[in-house]
This record gives sequence, structure tokens and C-alpha cells, in this order.
Amino acid sequence: MDALIRSLIDGLLLGFVYGIAAMGLTLIWGVMNVINLSHGAIIALGMFSVYLLFTALGISAYIAVAITAVLGLLFGIVIYFIAVHRVIDAPELSTLLATYAVNMIIIGVGTSIFKTSPRNVPLDLGSVHLGPAVVPTTRLIAALVAILVAAGLFLFLKYTRPGRYIRAVTDNRDAAEIVGVPSAQVLALSFGLGTMLAAVSGALIATVFPFTILSGGSYELKSFVIGVLGGLGNPVGSLFGGLILGDIESLVPLVMPTTWTPVLEFVLFVVILLVKPNGLFGGEE
Amino acid sequence: MAILEMRDVTSGYGEVQILWGVTLALQKGQMVSLVGANGAGKTTLLRTIMGLNRPWSGQVLFEGEDVSKLPPHAKAARGLVLVPEGRQLFTNMTVQENLEMGASPKRSRADFQRNLELVFDMFPRLKDRRNQKAGTMSGGEQQMLAVARGIMASPKVLMIDELSLGLAPVLVLQLFESLKKLRDTGITVLLVEQNVKMALAVTDYAYVLSEGRIEIEGPSKAVASNPDVQKAYLGL
Repeated sequence: MDALIRSLIDGLLLGFVYGIAAMGLTLIWGVMNVINLSHGAIIALGMFSVYLLFTALGISAYIAVAITAVLGLLFGIVIYFIAVHRVIDAPELSTLLATYAVNMIIIGVGTSIFKTSPRNVPLDLGSVHLGPAVVPTTRLIAALVAILVAAGLFLFLKYTRPGRYIRAVTDNRDAAEIVGVPSAQVLALSFGLGTMLAAVSGALIATVFPFTILSGGSYELKSFVIGVLGGLGNPVGSLFGGLILGDIESLVPLVMPTTWTPVLEFVLFVVILLVKPNGLFGGEE
Repeated sequence: MAILEMRDVTSGYGEVQILWGVTLALQKGQMVSLVGANGAGKTTLLRTIMGLNRPWSGQVLFEGEDVSKLPPHAKAARGLVLVPEGRQLFTNMTVQENLEMGASPKRSRADFQRNLELVFDMFPRLKDRRNQKAGTMSGGEQQMLAVARGIMASPKVLMIDELSLGLAPVLVLQLFESLKKLRDTGITVLLVEQNVKMALAVTDYAYVLSEGRIEIEGPSKAVASNPDVQKAYLGL
């Protein structure tokens, strides 16, 4: 029983971190109907950003996470204007190819610089008791930061002018233009926020797990599963989807070999697509 | 000087040409109607003025300046405001949020409270529903909201596509009266209407669009007594 609760708590904590990565993917999809195939590469960049800031420059790990967030935002805006904007009105295949190209460039350059040897951020803050579970402090902090980021995004979208503009463009881009919203800038900001979430998620994962420049791919796949669970285009759903996936990941090893985890995740993915294609929390359509 | 002008404008969608050299001029403070049959190109004409469709050739001038190449949001910022066909509301937002979105142009923000009172005065129904999601309202209410959102922008020129569509005739008359009041405050109004009779009755000047060309123009009264118009559009 204790083992079960321990795994559940462990999974929930990870789930928040996976959840914000998926929020990034689903935000971009919701606003501009673009599947960002550079998502995983940006998660990996987030990992290396914290790694380099921490090990090479000696910056405190969580300040490094904050710096990574800002870099992620700016990098996303740059990617948008260089690679995405020119094909934003083209059929979806073009945006897939454009973001996949960005992915290949990042992975290629990253591999030549960092090789594929595993890295980790040597950060030991001890552990804390959460009920019957003993969890590494880094994991608890990662979850708390992820919750803060998710809450911050929610408040930003709900109560600020740029946030309202993003929701308006999501709702109806032409209508947003005719009431005076510069939609190209809003799309760029949305893309930047999406990549910021991916980068922060990667940064937080790096404080918990070892990683390589290629690690982003598997987290990108998790983001897709979570996005579909929560309903693509529904950021709050993504957070809950993340919790579900985090728990699957931590509970599966209790009953079967860990290698079954992705199998179960993708069975779930396919079942959701067949039964409830708008996601568990997807509304009308 | 005309506040809004089209000079020999052609436009369309993809390979299909819809407008074949449209020239028109709106004088400041006038209420003008653009009438014509279904498919004559009325909506395309508005979309081309607004920049949702690029003019293929010719010019669109606003306050004497060539704005042919400006994106729609830049035109809205200058006071050229469209209430589009099919309403195009933000259906997942509340009535209040839709009105706030209408007030996006910087020039309208200082007038926010005044405009809000004005539109709630015109459409008390919207005040009752201000916290309701726009997509859940009836067609008529959505139409009111679309017009109200346009007014929130403090327009210099307010272009309304198919005002009367889906509205009860009594309400349409009320709306026309409200628009006349707006015109009397100096706002130029361009009404695009399929309801030709009503449109000609309330406006100062009228254009008749047929197959992408301006066929007839003149003071609305004169247009209404034009035998061709009477035969083709008024069923007389």
C-alpha cells in the first residue's frame, strides 16, 4: 500500500512537469493549428541551458531555470518569424516540415557540440517526507515550479491584454485582425510562450533526471499523449493529462517491467483518439 | 474630401475575380448604403476595403492616404471598422470580453466607458447578458453584439455587412435609428444590405453593385426612384 502511495505521489510530481511541456505543445496548436515538431529539441535545449549555466557558469540551478524560461521565450519568437510565419497560412504539412527542419537543425548542431553522452545537473538538496513517501527535494521543487508556471500562464491568458489577444486569435483570427489585434505578433508571442513552456519543462527535468541532447524526443512523445488526453488546444486539460501520464509511468513498474510503460501510454493514446478524440476534458465540437 | 475612397479596385479569391474596377467615395458624416443581389460582390468589396482580401489593382484611400497594402489591424487602429457578415464574434469569450476586444485600438481606449454606456443604451439586452459566452446567445443577440463591438472601436467609418440578417424588422428599424444618431455625431456609416428598400429609405447616398461593378449611384431617394432599381430590386 505504501509503495502504491509513494509511486502515486512520485508520479503526480513528475506529472506537473510533463504537464507544462504538453501545455506548450497544445497552446501552439490551439492558437495557430501548428504541430510543433521542434518541441522535443527545445525541451533538450532547456536541459542543456540549465546544465551549462549551472556547471560552466556556476549559476544557482533555479535561477538557471528562470533564465532558461526567458531564453525559451525569445528563441521561440525567433523561430516563429524565421521558420513558421512564412508558412502559417499554408496547408498543415508545410508547418510540420518547417518545425521538423528546425528540430533537425537543433539536434544536428547539438549533437556535434555535446555528443550524445549522458549529462546530469549535480544538484543534491536531500529529500522530504510527503506522507508515507520520501521524495527528492529537487522533484518537489520541480513540481512546485511547474504549478507556478501553469498558474502564471492561466492568469496571463485570463487577465492581461496580450493574454486576451491570444485567446481572441485562438477563437477567430480574422475577427481579431479586424478589431485591431496585430495577429502576426500575437502568433509569435504564442509560439514563444509554447517554446518557453517546453524549455522550462526540460530545465526542470534536468534537475531530476540525467539526459542527453537526444532525450527531448521521448518527452515530446509524452507531450503528444498528454495533449490528446487533455484535449489538444486545452492547456488546463494538459496539466491533468500530465498527472495521469506521470502516474502511469510511476505505477507501471510496480506490476510489470518498465519497458511496458510506453506501450501502455500509446495504447491509451490510440484508445482516446478512437473513443474521445477531443480528449478526456475536451468539451463540445 | 472623401473620407473613404476606392479607385478602380479589382479583387477576388484565388483565380476567381469578383470585383471588376470599383470606384466609390464616402463623404464624412454620410450614411451610405451599398446594395445588390446575392453574389454581386458586396462582402468581397468590404473585405477588400478592410484588407482581408488584397486589392489586385487599384487603390483604397482612407482620409486621403493610400491604405491598400495595410493589414486589417492597422486599418482598425486608424478608425476604419468592419462589422463582418456572419458576425465573427469571439464565441468562447463573454459579451463583456467581446466588447473589450472591440476597444482594442489605442484611440478607442480613453472612450471605453462612454462607448460601453452607449452600446448598453442601444442594446439593453447585452447589458443583461454581459457575463454570458457570446456563442451561447441567439442569432439576433449575436448580431447586436457584433454591431456593439464595432461601436466600441470609436470608428471614424463604420462598415456593417448585412445588418438586418436574422433580426426582427422592429429591431432593424431601431438599429437604423441608432445608426442615424451615430451618423449625426460625425461617424460615417457604410451599410451593406440585401434589404434594398429599407436601406434606401434610411441612407443619404447609395451605390448599387451588380456583378462586381457599380451599376448605379446617387442620392438614395433618386436611386429608389430609378426604374431599373425598382424593377430589379424593389419588385415594382
